[in-house]
Amino acid sequence: MAASKKPTNESGEAIWGMMGEFKSPYHITKAAEMFRDAGYKKWDVYTPIPIHGMDEAMGLKTSKIGPIVGIMAIVGVVSALALQGWTSAVDYRMVVAGKPYFAWEQFTPVTFELGVLFSAFGAIFGMLALNKLPMWYHPLMKKDRFLRVSDDRFVIAVEATDAKFNAEQLRAFFEKAGGSNIEMVEE
Amino acid sequence: MSHAHVDVDKLMSRDNTAFPAGAGKILWIGLLAAGVVCAAIAILKAKNTEGLAGFQLVASYHAGLMAAVGASLGALFLVMVFHQTNAGWSALIRRQVENLTAFFPFMILLGLPLILFKYDIWEWMNTKYVESDPLYQSKASFLNENFFWMRSIAYFLIWFWLARSLVGFSKRQDETGDKWLTAKARRRSSYGLLLFAMTTAFAGFDWIMTMDYHWFSTMWGVYFFAQGVGAALALTLLILLILNMRGKLDGLVTVEHHHDLAKLIFGFTVFWAYIGFSQYFLIWYANIPEETAWFALRRTGPWMNYSMALAAGRFIVPFLILMPRPFRRNRMILMFTCVWIIAFHVFDLLWVIRAEAHDGAHGPVALNAWDALAFAGPLLIFAGVVVMKIVSGPLVPLKDPRFTESLGHKNYV
Repeated sequence: MAASKKPTNESGEAIWGMMGEFKSPYHITKAAEMFRDAGYKKWDVYTPIPIHGMDEAMGLKTSKIGPIVGIMAIVGVVSALALQGWTSAVDYRMVVAGKPYFAWEQFTPVTFELGVLFSAFGAIFGMLALNKLPMWYHPLMKKDRFLRVSDDRFVIAVEATDAKFNAEQLRAFFEKAGGSNIEMVEE
Repeated sequence: MSHAHVDVDKLMSRDNTAFPAGAGKILWIGLLAAGVVCAAIAILKAKNTEGLAGFQLVASYHAGLMAAVGASLGALFLVMVFHQTNAGWSALIRRQVENLTAFFPFMILLGLPLILFKYDIWEWMNTKYVESDPLYQSKASFLNENFFWMRSIAYFLIWFWLARSLVGFSKRQDETGDKWLTAKARRRSSYGLLLFAMTTAFAGFDWIMTMDYHWFSTMWGVYFFAQGVGAALALTLLILLILNMRGKLDGLVTVEHHHDLAKLIFGFTVFWAYIGFSQYFLIWYANIPEETAWFALRRTGPWMNYSMALAAGRFIVPFLILMPRPFRRNRMILMFTCVWIIAFHVFDLLWVIRAEAHDGAHGPVALNAWDALAFAGPLLIFAGVVVMKIVSGPLVPLKDPRFTESLGHKNYV
């Protein structure tokens, strides 16, 4: 993103976006539906609790985490079978307890566990990557009012890089959606 | 919040929540009659056939009966778990699960003919045959005929009492609307689940595992349970889908309930495979002859193919079908999967029971059309009883206090 396009405030600081507070899960869900329908793309909802139905209200698509976990599970299963098969049936053949060299039965527990382990890695690291975590700095964290989002505040924030971002109109839209304490957020 | 706008009176109209009097009568009478005919032919033919061929028929009949009993037990378990966990979402589907528990009295009737063949099915009952067998002698204090029949009657009485009282509470609530009946059902489910766990495991040991009294597996009770709950869930979902397709429960039982049942079916598919594999794996690994004989039999001749078909059909296929979310919310795919799982549930019981019909010299014989007739008998009667129950009353618990919660139920993931 080109820095020159970013709006600035009176003192010349770059603007990250705008935030507004809402009263309750019910009010913020209604507001999220309005932001969704108005066509905003780069915005997010911050709440102290998970709110059922928020995905739908925000118009979020199904998470991409499923296919990531699926691929990782297959990688785990294949590498477990390859490791066990190669070591016991190819590289160092040895009869153990009268079982065949390549015995799927005894490979199954490790194959299952490695499938689960890789899936878990896929889920955790995939989630971190999709959420752009770890993130060491976020402009919203400078706002004292925003910090209460982990306690009892419900906040919507729209980023300045959104195509529809216009400080005047957005402030009016926040008010229409029932927001209060609407503030600019500096970078 | 979403159900606030729903016209509840319209949803609760008699048209949507019950069949008109006399509907479906031809169907359930037909199913019962067909079942009685199949069962009678199988039993008579078995009685008049000497040796192994006769026993094969009885074993298939026994497999059909146990498939029905397993599904009924699975349903009884689900009813108690729904009550015990106070599961709001389940209120609207519970009546159909309750209908599946109506089979227990018929289980006793259908089990009576097996007494004629008890020395074939439960060889250890023949005391002359086993008196010099040390492997029997060490089990004789538990595994003797008197105790066996006493236990069998106890299982029946406990299941019948639990099913009857829980369904009774639910039906009484339809009329009186007394919300304390829900609390009563919940209390009964608490110790009911404990009784259920013991009796189901031991019924599995007694009626099925002791067909080969040398063999033993501590996993057996859980395997019998896993089979039954999977089948009960698939049957419940199938009934609900058929009712929805026939224009019943419209707006009451929705894709959200289908989705949750499909998740449970997926879970119990994996659970069945986990238990089945663990049982096989430990015995395979330890390689002790008296334990491996049971599996060796099922790896002989055509039964090796049956074993592989069972693993593919009861686990891999439903596992892959039920994995993607859109498939768990698609009526046609769910209907196919339910029928598939029920078919493989029956096949599973055949694999377990029918394989025991063999003489020492040869492996078990391949399944044939007569086997189908024999296992169809008890299963058609089971189906007839369930249809009779479905058409004879309200299709949902009308005044369950968790009704609105179930109506607004949604899957967010």
